[in-house]
Amino acid sequence: MSERIAASKYAFVLRAERLGLGYHHRALAEDLTFQVRRREILGIVGPNGCGKTTLLRTLLGILKPVRGTVERDPSLAASYVPQHENIDTILPITALEVVLLGHMARESAFRRLGAADRRVALEALRRVGADTLGPQLFRDLSGGQQRRVLLARALAAEPDLLVLDEPTAGMDVAGEAAIIDFLRDLNQAQGMTILIVTHLLSLVLNFATSILLMTASGTIVHGPIEDVLREDRLSELYGVPIRLGRVGGQRMLAVDRQGAGDV
Amino acid sequence: MFEVPFMRLALGASAAASVALGVVGVYLIIRRVVFLGLVLANAATVGAAVGQIFGWPPEIVGIVTTVAAGLALGAIPAPRRISAESIMGWAYATAAATTVLILAGAARADADTLHFLYGNVLAVRPSHAAGLALLALAVLAVHGLFAQRFLLVTFDAEGAHVGGVNARGWSLLLNLWIGVTTAAAVHELGVLLTFSLLTLAPTTSLLVTRSLRSTFFVSAAIGVMAVFLGLVGSWYLDLPPGPSSVVPLSVAVVVAGVLGNRFSRRAKPASPK
Repeated sequence: MSERIAASKYAFVLRAERLGLGYHHRALAEDLTFQVRRREILGIVGPNGCGKTTLLRTLLGILKPVRGTVERDPSLAASYVPQHENIDTILPITALEVVLLGHMARESAFRRLGAADRRVALEALRRVGADTLGPQLFRDLSGGQQRRVLLARALAAEPDLLVLDEPTAGMDVAGEAAIIDFLRDLNQAQGMTILIVTHLLSLVLNFATSILLMTASGTIVHGPIEDVLREDRLSELYGVPIRLGRVGGQRMLAVDRQGAGDV
Repeated sequence: MFEVPFMRLALGASAAASVALGVVGVYLIIRRVVFLGLVLANAATVGAAVGQIFGWPPEIVGIVTTVAAGLALGAIPAPRRISAESIMGWAYATAAATTVLILAGAARADADTLHFLYGNVLAVRPSHAAGLALLALAVLAVHGLFAQRFLLVTFDAEGAHVGGVNARGWSLLLNLWIGVTTAAAVHELGVLLTFSLLTLAPTTSLLVTRSLRSTFFVSAAIGVMAVFLGLVGSWYLDLPPGPSSVVPLSVAVVVAGVLGNRFSRRAKPASPK
């Protein structure tokens, strides 16, 4: 656990109080109250268009709440890994320079880059298995490689809270498993709090320690996985019969096609 | 040709302005706000026109209106139903029309005023050439100090904000910096050449370079070469210097586009998934 976390007087990392989300005073969801505790891995899930990314952007202060408040432990450092499609690739910038930008964000604007900063950036690239990508232009990398570099950039800022938006979108099974294992290690070894937004329930089933399920009507259910992800609730929310089970100790989720009939 | 003092002054002034505009122009292009350059250049002429009418120093009023325009456009939240460029188009049309209307209604708007507003690098005064040289040095100093922050908020403003950087403040500062540079250059070079140096030189550079450092350097160098060629063409062909300098800039974009595509196809490594 970092010294910042140990020294913090706050019991939570983030706390939303009667929060209303939306754009231009139009609320997508209202009256959301929950908190994110230290060392938690919170999966924010829900059907497409329910406002997951809007909630994330509001929690991070990128969007102003329509109503209510978001309180963040000011002593903690946060890093954000956006969807890689949101990053403009017109800049002729190498993967190493991208990571350095994340690292230098923590420093004074007047501080010059040094050899130690480069070592931190190279180490961050190595940790995500992207050490050979350093000299390559970011725009020339594949989607999966860009995602790794953006994760390295977030780590180079040495955060206490890591926030990821659809971190495995477009990845194959091996890439997805590698990222999830890596994030779990970060959480367990360093006590890093992780917030992950995904439309893939299967991604967080065996990874998150708690779930915040958003519904299309703008309400949330928040709590431990067993309490939140129930077959009846998911089936009603997604409009298809969903079955939950275990295979080899791992939680599994499937759509019951026989129950759904032929589509 | 360059033994004539006014030509030496013109070359020195336009080369200094080219360096300044070439550097800030790269930010303009990578932020995808090309029209902002045109808006700022025209905001400077509005200020100068107002200054002429009321007898205030036009350079100062021009800088004030340009900075105000840069800050105002930077503060407008991203529109959801139209593109940001649409707002820039509105601002450009408003500023250009306002300048013409102010001048049309002003008894003091004579040929000298028009030269002042729209620039004539052949008539640049030594003090103004020195001012442009200082401007170029200041631009390079600001770039050297704050390039990391400017690039950070350009690359991913939201990530920077979450990381604790005042992304909005740095974006406004960047707009302000571009605005002051544009306003200072437009009085000597005119709107056309200022806008061309702000956009065409960086565009050419981005097409042929593959590193940040070389992008800024090549952008400034292309601007300097273009104004040199423009002044030579202007001298021998008896043409106005501004448009003469735009011609090599325009050709450079086309050539860089063709060469850049070929170079890029050869240089781009195969990207495994």
